Amino acid sequence: MKIRTLGLQLRQGFSGLWRNRVMTLVAVGSVTAVLLVLGLSLLTIININSLADYIESSVEIKAFLEEKLDSSRIETIGEKIGQIQGVREIDFETKEMALIKYREQLGDNDSLLEGLEGENNPFPSSYIVKVDDPNTIGSIADEIAVFEGVEEVQYGKDVVDRLLSSTNLIRVVGTVLICILAFISVFIISNTIKMTVVARRKEIRIMKFIGATDGFIRFPFIIEGLMMGIIGAALASGLVTAIYNYFYRSMHSSFGGVFVMISGYLAPYTESLYNTSVILLGVGMIIGVIGSGISLRRFLNV
Amino acid sequence: MIAIKDVTKKYPNGTVALEGIDIDIHKGEFVFFVGSSGAGKSTLVKLLLREENPTYGSITIDGVTINNLKRRQIPYFRRKVGVVFQDFRLLSDKTVSENVAFAMHIVGASKREITRQVPRVLSIVGLGDRATVFPNQLSGGEQQRVSLARAIVNNPSLLIADEPTGNLDPDTAWEIMKILKEINQRGTTVVMVTHARDIVNYMRQRVVTLDGGRIVRDQERGGYSFED
Repeated sequence: MKIRTLGLQLRQGFSGLWRNRVMTLVAVGSVTAVLLVLGLSLLTIININSLADYIESSVEIKAFLEEKLDSSRIETIGEKIGQIQGVREIDFETKEMALIKYREQLGDNDSLLEGLEGENNPFPSSYIVKVDDPNTIGSIADEIAVFEGVEEVQYGKDVVDRLLSSTNLIRVVGTVLICILAFISVFIISNTIKMTVVARRKEIRIMKFIGATDGFIRFPFIIEGLMMGIIGAALASGLVTAIYNYFYRSMHSSFGGVFVMISGYLAPYTESLYNTSVILLGVGMIIGVIGSGISLRRFLNV
Repeated sequence: MIAIKDVTKKYPNGTVALEGIDIDIHKGEFVFFVGSSGAGKSTLVKLLLREENPTYGSITIDGVTINNLKRRQIPYFRRKVGVVFQDFRLLSDKTVSENVAFAMHIVGASKREITRQVPRVLSIVGLGDRATVFPNQLSGGEQQRVSLARAIVNNPSLLIADEPTGNLDPDTAWEIMKILKEINQRGTTVVMVTHARDIVNYMRQRVVTLDGGRIVRDQERGGYSFED
């Protein structure tokens, strides 16, 4: 296509939006509605994911060491654990720290531990290992268990397994839900845009008889679809932001400090809104273009 | 110019619209196709515009066998053929000159060519002073003249007119015929499908009569001898 034709074509696309403004309004409205639902679902899933991530990242392996190891042996074990792939963080917990921790857990009943300081301390020293991917925690624990000097390895197998299966389920359900919504969006939008095309089939026929190529006829409609997608996505992003903002504020005023604490584990406010808007814009543009492309095909066969 | 060889058109529902059509039309000719409804006139127009393909036989226009054209080649073929219809088929949201210019935009003409050529063809059809008016502000005859201007703006070697006077009163119809004749005298081959007995009789041009999908008469300087 020549550049001067392109300019004309762009103008055609924009004027098409205005000339068919009722249909444009209907189409943009449905794009907005569908993307709004999509956006809110996305935000919900992003936040659930973020919570799941937090819970998952807090699972850890405890590798208890044998008694009476000298410090260089302890250090070697630490280095060996650090070299295992997938290990994110290692902390060493001495016998004394373990005792203090336990005392804190007992609270008022800490008198039970009297006399266990120093030589009599029954708690073993240990390495606390955090991993990148909680799904690998089992195999990493097994690897550590065979190291010389490691007495025993614990990672709350049952709890981790159950946790992982439920967070994975949430992710799968979320992804499926998003896919279904995206599919429905394409369907609704291509149908709405189809109405705008049907309203102009006479025009398309005339262009075909004068010798316009399919591409020439299609281009302004694609621009229209694209614009509808962009406008719809912008409106939807605005609404999603407003609703999310309202949700945050009302949660804050109802639950105060508790919500502030929880919100620390939710997805970062600005970033998640930004990502959602970018996704909505992308989806809007794609379904606008696909929607108008699909609905034109039928009328180009003259 | 046009060579139609042994063309038969059967529609999927079994109707045989044209059967064994053989005809040659030379460059610069003015040919009428006449016949009653259902004689196959509209099918013939559809075949000449490559809207439909013949079931058997071949159609060659200006050296191009159009039934072999690929889908993407069809637009380029149509640019060499001007066409006007009974119902004008103008774009209602564009002015007279925009409607004509649009046909030039499609072929990728430059702004300079367009501003030179559009007023020229508008004056040929006698609408030089109506360039900025919209189609719905024009009479039927004026609208048909716009569509004629659009049909010839890219200098086609062939003009197909499908009942161009069908919606017009007799006086207006004559004006259109005068323009068609003038276009023909400038060298364009004109094929006109019509019902209008008076016009055919007066023009004394070649007349091809269709009946039941067959050619029943083909006369140089003929008249409308078909009874309907």
